[in-house]
Amino acid sequence: MTHSTDNAWNHPEAQLASGRYIVAYIVGLALMGLSFGLVEKHAFTPLGLGIAISAIGALAAIVQCVLLLHMNLSETQIWHTVALVLFIPLFVLAIGLTAWMFHGLYRRTMMMPVPHASSTAPTVAKSGA
Amino acid sequence: MSAATTKTLDVKKSPMWSSGHGHDVIATRTLGFWLYMLSDAMMFTALFAAYVVLGHTINAAGGPWSTAVAHPSVAFRETVWLFSSVLAYGLAMIALKKGHRGGVMLGIAAAILIAFGFLGADLHEVADLLRMGATPERSGFLSAFFTLVFYHGLHVIVGIAWMLVMLVQVASLGLTENVVYRLLNLRLFWHFQAVMWVFMFTFLYLRGAIV
Repeated sequence: MTHSTDNAWNHPEAQLASGRYIVAYIVGLALMGLSFGLVEKHAFTPLGLGIAISAIGALAAIVQCVLLLHMNLSETQIWHTVALVLFIPLFVLAIGLTAWMFHGLYRRTMMMPVPHASSTAPTVAKSGA
Repeated sequence: MSAATTKTLDVKKSPMWSSGHGHDVIATRTLGFWLYMLSDAMMFTALFAAYVVLGHTINAAGGPWSTAVAHPSVAFRETVWLFSSVLAYGLAMIALKKGHRGGVMLGIAAAILIAFGFLGADLHEVADLLRMGATPERSGFLSAFFTLVFYHGLHVIVGIAWMLVMLVQVASLGLTENVVYRLLNLRLFWHFQAVMWVFMFTFLYLRGAIV
């Protein structure tokens, strides 16, 4: 694979492709379909639904990372996996800390009622404004 | 120096920054591109963070709220289109494994056509929202919503353009080392869109419909 005389598609990374892509497709659609069905049927309370679809979404993302992006500990893929694993805390912290800071800001600064001119505006504000 | 020792050095022991015989061009370039994809994911992270902040009702400014603009059924149709395109590209990669040039081209062509299906559904959804007066400039909430939708749509457009280029390169150059590493990078790019779409679908469309 390091010699130009070899066929480039014999490189270990090209050989990673497999029928597991079909499994990823079926499982991915099934999980997203499940989330969709739960929301359409209002299966739980809003909070319960939020937790359920978040958990299903996380599971779907993990399945796709393993089956589609080949995240594993093999010699060819280990550094891809390490980079992703180190990325995840950045992802969670960036969104989580931002949400936390602004949630606190809104709670402390929004003294006046929220004006809702349109009927499409929500009837219930999450933090009670 | 025996041939065996040299071979071991070449394949296993040489650091990837070595410019010697052990330099694995394909592995180095896919790792580099993967790190770039993760920095692209940080862009998504920033946009999701903005969406979370602007997802407070006061940022709707009296305009349409997420329950009016997030349509899970439309988004689920888009999910089917996008995942199918990702699968078609995956099948092209299975053909690549055996060096079947025709199979690679067939898979990529199918992935392009199906991706146009996604893009059509996406544009139709956006056009409907604009018609009902939900424009990006209406409120901070809608700005954040549309920025995420447009940013993801832009990725699909780039993916289609890249696949068209690779179709031409596979046809004209064959499965050379350069073409193979580009196909592998495009696989990372295209399959990563499926992972990002899981978050888009869950937190933009489904979450938006239940708030």
